[in-house]
Amino acid sequence: MTSGGLVLSPTAPLDEASRDEQDLVARLVAADAAAVGEVYDQHHRAVRAFASRLVGDASAAEDLVHEVFVSLPRAMRGYRFESSLRTFLISIAVNHARHHVRAATRRRAALSRLAFEPEGRTTDPEQVQRRKELASLLTKALDTLPLEQRVTFVLCEVEERTSREVAEITGVPEGTVRTRLHHAKKKLREELSQEGIG
Amino acid sequence: MTDELLKAATRASREENADDGGDGRFTRARVMASLHQGKLKRRTRLAFILPIAACLAAGTAWGAATGRLPAMFHAISEAVSYRSRQAPPKQGAASTAPSQKPAELAEDVPPPEIAEPPPPARQTKPGLARAEPSGSASKPTPALRSSAAFQDADGDLYRLAHEAHFDAHDYGRALAGWDAYLKAAPNGRLATEARYNRAICLLRLGRDAEARQALEPFASGKMGYRQTEARQLLDELSR
Repeated sequence: MTSGGLVLSPTAPLDEASRDEQDLVARLVAADAAAVGEVYDQHHRAVRAFASRLVGDASAAEDLVHEVFVSLPRAMRGYRFESSLRTFLISIAVNHARHHVRAATRRRAALSRLAFEPEGRTTDPEQVQRRKELASLLTKALDTLPLEQRVTFVLCEVEERTSREVAEITGVPEGTVRTRLHHAKKKLREELSQEGIG
Repeated sequence: MTDELLKAATRASREENADDGGDGRFTRARVMASLHQGKLKRRTRLAFILPIAACLAAGTAWGAATGRLPAMFHAISEAVSYRSRQAPPKQGAASTAPSQKPAELAEDVPPPEIAEPPPPARQTKPGLARAEPSGSASKPTPALRSSAAFQDADGDLYRLAHEAHFDAHDYGRALAGWDAYLKAAPNGRLATEARYNRAICLLRLGRDAEARQALEPFASGKMGYRQTEARQLLDELSR
């Protein structure tokens, strides 16, 4: 996994880099749109990847990414340089995820009721198709979890973050992270076996 | 077995939603538009609230200094109680008076301000091509580019969607672009044009039901834009 946050060049002196970061943070707090653009360019891919994994829906993920960066100037008032900016952005996404996860879950349920799935790429090889099916299976199983367990599972297992990092993002003790992960995995296994695939 | 499946599904989800190298330009432009609008809203709010607050403060200070404050409060409370006594008959009158039908009321609403519609495309062939605005026809003119609509961040969204539609002919991306523009500026100066282009994208993508729904307001003439072309497209769709 790549290191999160502002990527510092190995040769850059630390104090200079941290001054740059402080300047950037000050501009963000002042709602400088150019600063938001800079942060977007640096981190939008990580935020989008997390959002897609969490909500399992590209359109809802884009809405979540939009919300994260629009709310960034206000959220920056609570930034204390204790975590990297990227980790902070992920934590904003976690805080805003509830509505988007609910909307995406509702949309998936409606689509499955209508036995209609969005059109996929027809030229994909078999392996890619299988991967899509597995990912979709996991997303459906994740829909049955409470949001806290869902976030913990995505961060720990899908994004392969350490429990310490996840604790930092979600703002709970590491022990709670491990407990949530345990319950999430247990429930996901049950869901998969109920689907008759296990 | 379930454990293996869970691991495989987790890996699949990781790979499926990995960074696909997409540049997220539409969302970036949307973020910028939202920030810009937020700033405008704050400024407008300040522009209204500050003078009102200043008047209130000055009035109160003047009233206190001249000893007329109690009289002012009395006058204000009289006025307020007079209005509240007058209010019920007014509401009653409003609920009984209108004999207009909802449709008529709706017609009274002025149409949204739209950009000057570009000239309709030449109708040389039947079918979809004749009803789609040509790139140059719907491309923002230099005058439009310099207008207020294009000085803000919404203009970037419009341009991105326009490029995807008319230059790259990537209708999936263009649809996302038009949606993003319409989300950012639902009553924007070019919203009508964007809605029409969106309908064309839906048609191009074979999403006929949605396209039909999107074209209906144009065909009925409510939008005041490309009515004939929309009508022709709907006719083609219903064949």
